[in-house]
Parts: sequence; structure tokens; C-alpha cells
Amino acid sequence: MASKLLAFRSMICKPLPMIVKQTSFQHVPYNLKFFSVSPVACVNFFNKLPADKLWKSVTSVSNAGAKKGRGKGAGRIRIRDLNRGQMIGVGKINMLWPGLSAPVIRGRELLKQQRLPDDPERMEKLIKLRDSMTKFRRLKLSPIERGWSGSRMPGRSIGPPDPVGEDEFTGFDTKVLQLRSLLIMKGSLGRTRNYQAMVVTGNGQGLAGFGFGKAKEAPAALRKAKNRAGQKLMHFEIYNGHTIFHDFYTGFGRTKIFVQMKNEGYGLKCHRAIREICQAIGIKDLRAKVEGSTNLQHIVKAFFIGLLQQRSHQQLAEEKKLHLVEYRAENEHYPKVVASPSEVRTKEQISQNETLDFIQYVMNDKVILRKKKFPRFYETMPHYDIYLKKYERYRNHEKIRLNLKVEYGEIKSFLTDKYPEEQTQSDA
Amino acid sequence: MPLPPASGTGLYYAKAAKSIRLIRQGCTNRPFFHIAVTHRRRLNSQPVIEQLGSYDPVPNIYNEKLVALNLERIKYWLGKGAHVTTPVAEILGLAGFFPIHPRTYMTAWRNRQAEFERLAKEAEASENAQTSS
Amino acid sequence: MSLFIRKLSQNNVKHVVAKHYESQTLIFSSRKLSIVPSVYDGEKDPAPKFFSKNVQVLLKRLTRPDFAKVFRKRKNTDLPVLRTPIYKFLTNEQLESEIAKANKKADKLLQMPPIVKIQKPITDVLSKDPALVGYDTSKFVFTDITFGVANENRIVVERDPDGTLQSCDHEIRKRLNQVYFPIHGRKIKEPLMFTDTEKFNSLLERQEYEFILDRACIQYEPDEFTYQKVTSITYQHVDINTNYNLLRSTRHFGPMTFYLTWHHNIDNLMLELLQSGTVREAVLLVALRHELQADVTNGDVAQTIVQQILPTPVQLTKPDRLTEEDIQLDNKCVECIEKYIVSNSAMKSQHELALQGFREYYQHLIDLSRGLQKAHGKVSN
Repeated sequence: MASKLLAFRSMICKPLPMIVKQTSFQHVPYNLKFFSVSPVACVNFFNKLPADKLWKSVTSVSNAGAKKGRGKGAGRIRIRDLNRGQMIGVGKINMLWPGLSAPVIRGRELLKQQRLPDDPERMEKLIKLRDSMTKFRRLKLSPIERGWSGSRMPGRSIGPPDPVGEDEFTGFDTKVLQLRSLLIMKGSLGRTRNYQAMVVTGNGQGLAGFGFGKAKEAPAALRKAKNRAGQKLMHFEIYNGHTIFHDFYTGFGRTKIFVQMKNEGYGLKCHRAIREICQAIGIKDLRAKVEGSTNLQHIVKAFFIGLLQQRSHQQLAEEKKLHLVEYRAENEHYPKVVASPSEVRTKEQISQNETLDFIQYVMNDKVILRKKKFPRFYETMPHYDIYLKKYERYRNHEKIRLNLKVEYGEIKSFLTDKYPEEQTQSDA
Repeated sequence: MPLPPASGTGLYYAKAAKSIRLIRQGCTNRPFFHIAVTHRRRLNSQPVIEQLGSYDPVPNIYNEKLVALNLERIKYWLGKGAHVTTPVAEILGLAGFFPIHPRTYMTAWRNRQAEFERLAKEAEASENAQTSS
Repeated sequence: MSLFIRKLSQNNVKHVVAKHYESQTLIFSSRKLSIVPSVYDGEKDPAPKFFSKNVQVLLKRLTRPDFAKVFRKRKNTDLPVLRTPIYKFLTNEQLESEIAKANKKADKLLQMPPIVKIQKPITDVLSKDPALVGYDTSKFVFTDITFGVANENRIVVERDPDGTLQSCDHEIRKRLNQVYFPIHGRKIKEPLMFTDTEKFNSLLERQEYEFILDRACIQYEPDEFTYQKVTSITYQHVDINTNYNLLRSTRHFGPMTFYLTWHHNIDNLMLELLQSGTVREAVLLVALRHELQADVTNGDVAQTIVQQILPTPVQLTKPDRLTEEDIQLDNKCVECIEKYIVSNSAMKSQHELALQGFREYYQHLIDLSRGLQKAHGKVSN
């Protein structure tokens, strides 16, 4: 049986015309007189070479072409597995093979080899399956998982750092800030590719750190960076559990960052890397403006330095030897003393040219340039004036519509009942 | 665009004759009037010297016609010798600020007359109907 | 029922409504509560008493102002979003002046809505001209919009279709004032929460007293019948459910106390004060009753004690240490209250019980603080 099957398989594997030819030979009574002993060359382009070589000839891109970026992206030809979706015993001609594609005995009946009606959709299904393999598909990530852009690593979470001995990093999460390839020249190997990663890890409750990692492969670089970040944790105080203690200026290299404390519910309005750092630390409300160089590593370093250089309210009060008082608009600007020094200076002890303004003091006398606000481009155009004049007529309509809806449940007035014909006309 | 201020935006010539008049604002089928002082020879569509009040001729849900009058400024302009047009004089008369304008009495009398005639006609018609039946 | 009120009030006979209300005992009914509103419509005018200095001081002290609550985050502010807080470095003197400013602001925030007698309808015919009959079917309403005239002094007159020229009644005046000089937050049409009994009761059940009272202050004038009705129902609801703490540190506690005292209904409040152990405020309440009703036997004693109480700081929490002066003052207060309970209280047994509880607690406190002083080596008599 097995040998029979093998023979069968070889027949199936051969191109169909050959099988047909062979079967036709069987039926024709051989004329042994003309029987030639020279071998029949059953060889063509498709069975001379193995499949992978054939595929290579189709998909390969020349070296010069690859350098130009050919054979990438949407137009790329891909290798298809032609065996996918095919089964032994099922073919173009729909035959019932007992023992192969069907049981030998069904019920009490011995099945016989027979031809079944053709399945016209079989080929279509196969082609569809093969086409689905060729289509270019980007790696899809859920909106929660995805980082700053598509499926690239920066901005994505890679879990907590690996435990060191018994100590586990519970509650920690790591965000990739940067992943880039560096090329270095080596005497023996020539130009080699290295990956560098910068990540930030934190538990969202004041503990955070950032780290760098370099490796030949991206995942290894990320792992290294993550574990190094886990080793370099720093603790930051969070004011009222949502923001920083005061505005500050910080810089690293040519990067300048102006950071401002904000009220609850303001959110993080800052550079995306700063946002990730804040989330890792647990800061919820803050505004930061990056000026000068936008080198990512410098931004991260500058921000961490700035956070570390913050002074608590008590420290500020002690430095100044004055009460630090907080005024909140929602509390009708009630003066709430947040920190008092051990001894308070009097008015006479304060020199005239001392910085007393809180923001100026915490910014180390650095002044933020406030740019002049220009009108929107359309506000200077004549059509905007025309629009405003026209809109003047309708300025209260929305409010009135709302009031009518509140009062009557629809847009009508006391006159609608008085003049019902108007109602019907407007409806029609 | 904010509304022009009530103090008015029109040019003011001290010696030109002024008039206090109704100026129609509002839109199609919905009249609304400003009571304003302007030059006598100036069109109603032109900016006024000063707005002195407003008059809404369409009765509101309580069947009232609302009139607003800045009496202090009206007195000032009257002192300056401003002319008052008949509709404004009628309104001021009804407000008790001026004596009732004769035209108000005329209109009232005519309305009463028309009503009287209508009633008489109706009575006649009903009488006729009774007699014919 | 609210419909009935509205209909009547449209006919400008509010005074009659008030009378009608009491005689027929129309009850402001709901599932659980039936509160009869009582308004200030008698012969006696509450305004002189309310605005007198003694009463104002007593009412303000009884409010027990806690700055944490006075300057709390409010829902009904004009701030749509929170703002970044402002910080300042201050010296001692500057801080003191800032706190003094805050105190002034607190006084403003705690300014009590006035209590006045219910308004009388305006019937002031200026002229009658029958020759104008038929001029128009609708009446003309004239409003003087002269700049700088107060709402209550504004000239608002109407010319009726029958030719009568007369001053408008309060309702029309209020409406036209709102049309030409709108007050922020006031609606021309009464809000549903006041007209719809069900909605009003649901607010009461949710104990949104401050919201009701604040909105009533904006929507109505203090001498309006509806205002006094709404506030009286709210005050009584607070009184029945002893939710006084919800109104403490707000501007409505004083008017509520005044209302309860005016209408001889302070026993619940007195019980609450005694149970919470604030005898000093209980004495203030007795003094207030004497001031308004003059029916307390030892009222003069209470008034003298009040003079001693007023300079002491407000007791926001129960004290844990006592000085000898405190003990003396509190003992005087307890004596005064005892006499009051015997002679004037309507809930004698309950008041006695509460006072007894306070005495025991207080004796314990005295022993504790004297013992502490002894331990610290400061032996007194």
C-alpha cells in the first residue's frame, strides 16, 4: 500500500500533462518495434531547479537596486508557499480515493474509487489564499500599545526591569524613549551596525530612572537599557500628588527647558519624551517648553537635572527667610501659608534689589520670552469683517433656540399657537 | 463685531436741526424700533447721534408692547430744541411724559367707530337672518 | 398647587395669597414631608431687629465661621477651569495684612441675605383717559432706562387698553428690570426647581440646601412672597432633619436662626447645640431669643454673658485643654442654660439630658486639664 501511495504521489507531483500522457501510453498497445531505449527527457525549467532557487530568481533585487531601496515596502514580491491549502488526495479532478481522501468502509458499504462532480471554486479559493500571502501588511498594534509612531519602538512600553536576585520591580513600567542604529567601523569587520536604546522606567509614585544600552541587536539593547535604568532609580517629591513644586529652568548642552507647575486637571503639555518621563514619575500636570537644541538625550538629561534641582517649599521659605503663601483662585485667593521659616525677616532686613517675585526667584532670574500674539491669518482679511457683521444678526439665536427648547420642548413660541398656518407652511 | 455704542456713532453738527424719531431695526416681518436722535436731514439708515430708547410694536406673551425711554437724555435733547416726530410724540404721550397726541385720540376714535359699525352690521345681519328664517 | 400660586401671583395679589395661605393651611405636600411655610407678613416688621447691631453680631457668631469651609472650592463660580496657584514671599506684617484682607472677604462671603417684611402691592393710578379706549388691544409698558438709577427706584409705568396710566406692580417691574438690566444668574421665567414641587422636594431630600438658598437669593427679591416661602420651607426642612452643619459657615445660617427664633422654634437647634457641647453658642441663642421675643426670664443674664463670650475665639472643634477663665465662663453658661430650660424650654427633659451629658463630659475635661497643669508644675487654686 505504501509503495503504491508513493508512486501515486510522484505522479501527482509531476505536471498534469505528463500524467495524462502516461495514462494514454498505458491504453495504447505498444508497438515494440519502434520502442526506443533512449531516455525521454522529462526535464524543463520548472523541475530542473529547486523551488527556492526559482523563487529567488523572481524576488531577488540587484545589489545596486537594494541600495536604492528597491524590493521594499508595498511593491515587493514575496515568496509564496504553493503547497498551502492543498491536500493529498484532493486535486483538480475531484476523485474519491478510498483510504486516502475518504475512509475505505463507510457504514456497511465498501467505498469504491470514483469521480465526483468538479468543484468549480477550488482554484479560485487557492488563488485567493496565495494572494493573501503576497499582500504587504504592516504590523498592527492596538492604540494603547502603540508608541509615538506606528509600530516603531519609541514610546512603547517594554515592561518592568528584570528582577535582581530576589528584588522584583513591582509596579514599574518602562518606556522606550529612543532606539537608533549606530554604524561603527572595525578593522576586521568593516562597517558594523550597533543599536543604542534610551529608556525610562518608573513606578508612577516618585521613583524613576533612565538608562542607555548598546548592543548588536535592538531587543538586546532595549533589555540592557531597561535593566540599567532599573539600577539608577531616583526619587522625586510630587507636590499634592499631581505636579512639581515650582517653575524652573534647566538646560543641558544647547538644550533649554522652561518647566511650569500647573493646576490639577491641566495635563502634560510638553515634549513627548518629557511626557513619558512625567508619567513614569507620576507627575500629572505640567507645562514645559523646549528651546534651542532638541537633541532627545539632552532633553531627557536636562529634565532630570531640573527635577533633581527642585527645592521644596520649606527649603524656599528657609532660603528667603520669608513665609511662602499660596493663593488659589478657586478658594477666592485665600492666603494659605504653605511653608514658614524658623525665623522671619522683617521689611528692613530685605535689601532693595532682592528678587521677591516667586517665579523670578525659582527661575533663577531667567525670564521667559513672551512672544507677541499675532492675529490669526484670516482675522486681518476683509471677508472676516463681513462675516462678523453678518453674524451679528444671529449672535443670540443659539441661546434663544436652547431656551425655547427648554420652555416648550421644541422650537416654537407663543405666537406659533396663535398663527398655526405659519407652522404648516414652514413644515412643508 | 460689537454693537455700536448707545451713545451713537454718527457725526454731530451743533447747529444742524435734530429730530427724535423711530428708526426701524429688526428684520422682515419683525419690526423693532430704536428711538434715536439724529440730524433732521439725515437718512434713517445712517448712523445716529444717540439712541434714546427702543419700542417693540409686537406684543409679547403677556400682551404688552415694551417701550424703553432714556428720559434724562430725551429731556436734554428737547432742551437743545430737537424736533419730535409724530410716532415718538404719540409714544411719549402714552407714557405720560407729553400730553396725549391728538393723533392718538383720532386713532382711538376711529377704532371705536369701526368697532361700533362692525357690531351694528353684525346685529343687522343676525336680524336679517332671523327675519328670513 | 404651584400653578395655583402662579395664577394668583399673576393677578398681582400676593398679599392676599399670603393671607390665604395661612388661613386655608394649604400644605406644601410631598411623599414624606408636609411643611407649612410661614412668611414675615405679620404686623411686626423683622427688618429693624434683623439689621440691629446686636442681632447681627449674634447671628454671625452663631454661624461658627470656619475659613476652610468659607473659602472652599465652590461649584457655582464663574471659573470654568482651575487656575495655576500664585505664590508669594511675605513677611510677618504682610501676612497679617493679607489675613486681614481675607477676613474682610470672608465677611463679604458671609454677608447674610436680608430679612424684611413681605412687599405690598403697588396700586398707583397716575391718570385715567377714557378717550383712549380702542387705541390698542394690548397695553404699553414704559421703562425709564436712564443711566445710574437703581432697580427699585426705576420708573416703570403701564398704559392699559382702557386708558389708565398706572405704575406697574412688582412682578412686571422685576421682569422689565431683568429685560433691560439683567442680573447675572437670574432668569426671566422662574426656574423649574422653584415652580415644580416634585423637583423642589427632590432637592430638599438630597439636602442641597445651600444650592436652593443661593439660587433663591439670585432669583428673587428678599421681600417677595415666593422667596420667603422657599426659604421658610428649606429652613424648616433643615430644622426637622437637624442638618445644621450643612449651613454652618455659610451666609444662610444666620437667617435660618433668625427665622427659627422669630417663629418660636429654636428647641431643636438648642438641643443640637447642647448635644454637640457648645454651651456658649446655646447662651448666644438664648440672648438672641431675648433680643427678638423678650420672653426669656433670665435674658439679661444671658446678654451679660454674651459680652464675655464674644471676644473669645470661635470654637470649631471640641477643646482638649482648658484654662481657668474658660472653666469659669463655661460654668456661667451652664447655669444660664439651666435656668432657661426650667423656665422657657419646650423640650425640657431632652434638654436636661443633653446638658447632663455635657456636664459629665466637661467635668472629665476639667479634671484632665487640671491634672495636666499639676503635672507641669503649674499648681493653681
